[in-house]
Amino acid sequence: MSALLAGEDPRASPLARRDPVVKLALVMAVSMAAIFVLDPVTPAVLYGLGVVGVLVGARLPLRVLAGAHVPFVAFALGQVLVNALSRPGVVLAEPGPLRITAEGLEVGAALGLRTLLIGVLAIAFIASTSPVRLMTNLQQNARLSPRVTYAVLAGYRMLQEMPREWAVLRAAHAVRAPLRRNGTPTRSPRVLLGAVFGLLVVSVRKGERMAQSLESRGLGLEPRTTWRPSPLTRGDAVLVVAVVGVVAAVVLASAAAGVLEGPGALGG
Amino acid sequence: MTAPTTPRRSTGRWQMRDIVLAVVLGVVFGFVYWALVQAWIGLQVAMGPAGDLAQHVLHGGWLLVAPVVIAITRKPGSGVVAELIAAFVEVAFLGSPAGPVLLVTALLQGVGSELPFALTRYRRFGWGVFALSGLFGGALVFVFSGFRFGWYGQDILLLRLAIQLVSGVVLGGLLARVIVDALARTGVLDDFAIGRARRSTLVS
Repeated sequence: MSALLAGEDPRASPLARRDPVVKLALVMAVSMAAIFVLDPVTPAVLYGLGVVGVLVGARLPLRVLAGAHVPFVAFALGQVLVNALSRPGVVLAEPGPLRITAEGLEVGAALGLRTLLIGVLAIAFIASTSPVRLMTNLQQNARLSPRVTYAVLAGYRMLQEMPREWAVLRAAHAVRAPLRRNGTPTRSPRVLLGAVFGLLVVSVRKGERMAQSLESRGLGLEPRTTWRPSPLTRGDAVLVVAVVGVVAAVVLASAAAGVLEGPGALGG
Repeated sequence: MTAPTTPRRSTGRWQMRDIVLAVVLGVVFGFVYWALVQAWIGLQVAMGPAGDLAQHVLHGGWLLVAPVVIAITRKPGSGVVAELIAAFVEVAFLGSPAGPVLLVTALLQGVGSELPFALTRYRRFGWGVFALSGLFGGALVFVFSGFRFGWYGQDILLLRLAIQLVSGVVLGGLLARVIVDALARTGVLDDFAIGRARRSTLVS
């Protein structure tokens, strides 16, 4: 859990200094653009550049980067497999009742590599962004209501405490729960669901107290002043131009080389 | 150095309590979704080549937060907001590998899930409305997900849709009503719109 949760202090790096809202928007834009690309080569090149970007820009150690890949590599492999097996086209092989087609393999590779690309961008964002700074800048630079940003920040604190809350609930349940032979509490779905529901009830109650305390601190009153303004800088502009320029260059080069394919590839 | 932020009057109908509730449920469901992803990966491996279908079996679970928040706060837009916040928690705090694209997915899921409640003008919260909520939530996002994951052109497109819709109705619709009823019975919702509505029906 702790490895998964965004850290409050990302390691110092060029990417960590950039505005979180700009990074979020860039990751969003590139990910959405990638959805319209359906050849394996373009996302593969972009993925390679993304890996370099994370290693250099976020100074993420190679081992950490590889570890963060685990959740979506399985999904990417599944995409290759299922498309190879479920698309009509030129049959390459027929193991048993299944058939593998060339078209399916190509589309599957394109989708799998796209998953890797979007995944590495998500890693770059999460590894270089402090949630607190993200919320303050969303309020200042994206004009999100402070009531929402502070509520979400309170939710972030709650998320940090959730594993502990979960442990307390499990311990409390264990007092009365039937035990297994070795003396540990059972992990039956029924007991776990009971704990999830308990977590829900505790959280709703806690949320109500949080809302009251936020309001009693004057949240929602206007006009608000800002203690530490965090304006967009020239560095943010450079990042935007660099990312958009590189992606555009790769797509144009891919089109010029004749490998770029759009959603039409799905039609087979 | 201070800079006043532009004041924008809130609609007045959203109280801090309602915003925090949406966040809290977003966080709890984000946490549970994170566990769901682990289950999904496990199911995917266990089902072998058919593993890609596993995501549709569990899909309804992702829709839960919208109908739950709508039924509790009974405010227009609350389902969409709750879905967006839950997705934001997953993306920004839990490091979902799907990245910010999840916000688009969440928007579609929220709109789909909220539609049936909006059509009753947030007045009816029977089993049927919840079931329709799950159905629409699963259906609307399928159009986008199908494009995003390249389901179009596969032999199993309709099978995917069928599983996803059933999951939407059961896990994303009916289960939401079960959760809301159970929560209401504990008394934690007494100060929300649902609690007030319950009291007024008891009095009259």
